[in-house]
Amino acid sequence: MKNIIDVTVENQAHITVSPREDEDFIFLYHGLENYIRKQEGVIAVSSYYQGEAALQYRHNAEGVALFGVNPEDEDRVVQKEKDMIAGDFGSLDLPGRYMVIGSKLARNLDVDIGDTVTAQFPGSAPADFKISGIIQTGTQADETAAYANLKRVQDFYNAGDIITGMGIRVSDIYAANTLANKIDREADYDAVSWMEQNSEILDLIETQSQFVLIFYILIFAISGFGIANILIMIVMEKVGEIGMLMAMGVPRKSILFIFLLEACILGMAGVMIGSALGYVSALFLASYSIPIPPEMYFGMDHLPILIVPENFIIAGIFAMAIITMAGIYPARRASKMNPVEAIHSV
Amino acid sequence: MSDEKIIQITNLTRIYVDGVEIRALDGVELDIEKGEFLAIVGPSGSGKSTLLNLIGILDTPTSGTILLKGIDVTKMSDKERSRIRNQELGFIFQYHHLLPDFNALENVMMPLLINGMKTSKAREKAREMLEEVGLGDRLYHRSNQLSGGQNQRVAVARALVNNPSIVIGDEPTGNLDSKSSDNIYELLRKLNREHNQTFILVTHDERMAAKTDRIIRLVDGKVVEDSRKV
Repeated sequence: MKNIIDVTVENQAHITVSPREDEDFIFLYHGLENYIRKQEGVIAVSSYYQGEAALQYRHNAEGVALFGVNPEDEDRVVQKEKDMIAGDFGSLDLPGRYMVIGSKLARNLDVDIGDTVTAQFPGSAPADFKISGIIQTGTQADETAAYANLKRVQDFYNAGDIITGMGIRVSDIYAANTLANKIDREADYDAVSWMEQNSEILDLIETQSQFVLIFYILIFAISGFGIANILIMIVMEKVGEIGMLMAMGVPRKSILFIFLLEACILGMAGVMIGSALGYVSALFLASYSIPIPPEMYFGMDHLPILIVPENFIIAGIFAMAIITMAGIYPARRASKMNPVEAIHSV
Repeated sequence: MSDEKIIQITNLTRIYVDGVEIRALDGVELDIEKGEFLAIVGPSGSGKSTLLNLIGILDTPTSGTILLKGIDVTKMSDKERSRIRNQELGFIFQYHHLLPDFNALENVMMPLLINGMKTSKAREKAREMLEEVGLGDRLYHRSNQLSGGQNQRVAVARALVNNPSIVIGDEPTGNLDSKSSDNIYELLRKLNREHNQTFILVTHDERMAAKTDRIIRLVDGKVVEDSRKV
């Protein structure tokens, strides 16, 4: 769960600013950028121009979302550099036309670093870009996104110095909502935080937590009944001996104590063996990277396995509590036994 | 034999309610003297086991009193009853009920440990007791490694190790062949002579009952015969 939030927050801007409702672009964006940079908690701002284009390499062609960015700003906002599997993102700043494209897009176009692709858009002159990097984020973007220098992209679309959006990274991700509202109000641009953008995911996480809780309750209930059953069986097997102990002068309270103690000893052994087994199997699972479709899991491409010591402690405490509770009934039953019937039952 | 009355039973009645009312004991009056070796006999359902369980304070009467050494045991708490069972009473049942996870010596030590005796002292006393019942060479055997007669000897040793004033036997030889049965009887007889403890045996075995000093015959919860050998 924490994982999903981490991945989500890492791969996208915490706040996205879009043009005013009746406009397609943010004009005079430098002033807005300066205003946002001055806000408290803002780490980085990246302005971008997003457009559609067709990329052609030999006889392969793919439709892409072409982003014009300042690579340094963009990297600070959404950490592009760490996702690069070839070349580097900073190369977009070099003189000349360079392009970084998603890994699946590169495969579909059958291009590699150093190849030159042609970008086409109705009304624009075709422009050649040299591939200087390949990026893999594990999201849909790998198949559709292409990045180039902001200036070159603006030129390609015959646009002036205007942008289509702005990404913001903040220090406290849970304060993003407040800042987005402030920008919305003061600058009159449409600013949306990651929480609003991902409200569905967050709802899903919420629901999932409730399901997990229900599963825990079920697991504890089932194991509780199992333990109670075993202890009842032990009591039943030892009926004669319990009777004899009573005849020898063991008070009922001691009988109760003996069986509660037995429950605790069994429980302790169970907790220790269970924790060890759990730890080993978690290590085992973690050593295998189990693939999951990243499109469905917000960019995670393998099953996340996190070994948290607290979980062992919490599970151990809960298990001991359940076991002790499950031990009470059989222990009471043993201590309430009629010694005469107990002795004659065998 | 002294005239000291160790057990005085007055108007003892025990009624079981199990759908219908069963009057297992009906106004029994009985005095038993210290050192007696007696048998309670009677057809099944006559109430002899019920009487024995009441004397052994394993069960509580519906009405009437039982005085053990002059103390009324029918109105005691579980803790006090447990203590009396441990210190004043020894039990031998038809089935030995030895704890299977422990050897003979440990089983005999059990009542001593329950009474709070130190382990080393309890071990010494249990060893002496087992030697007395003729199992000095079987101290470390478990019940599944011993014969029926040997197990019952361990049970006898366990019943007597605390030096109780009363030993209660509920068909103590019921599971044994006649030779082992005679051996156990001789053993109990010998212990009775040597320690002057009171022995109360419930038995079906008329042959064995005939060898005791006193026979109490019960029919339908009432004493119909109480005869002493002269």
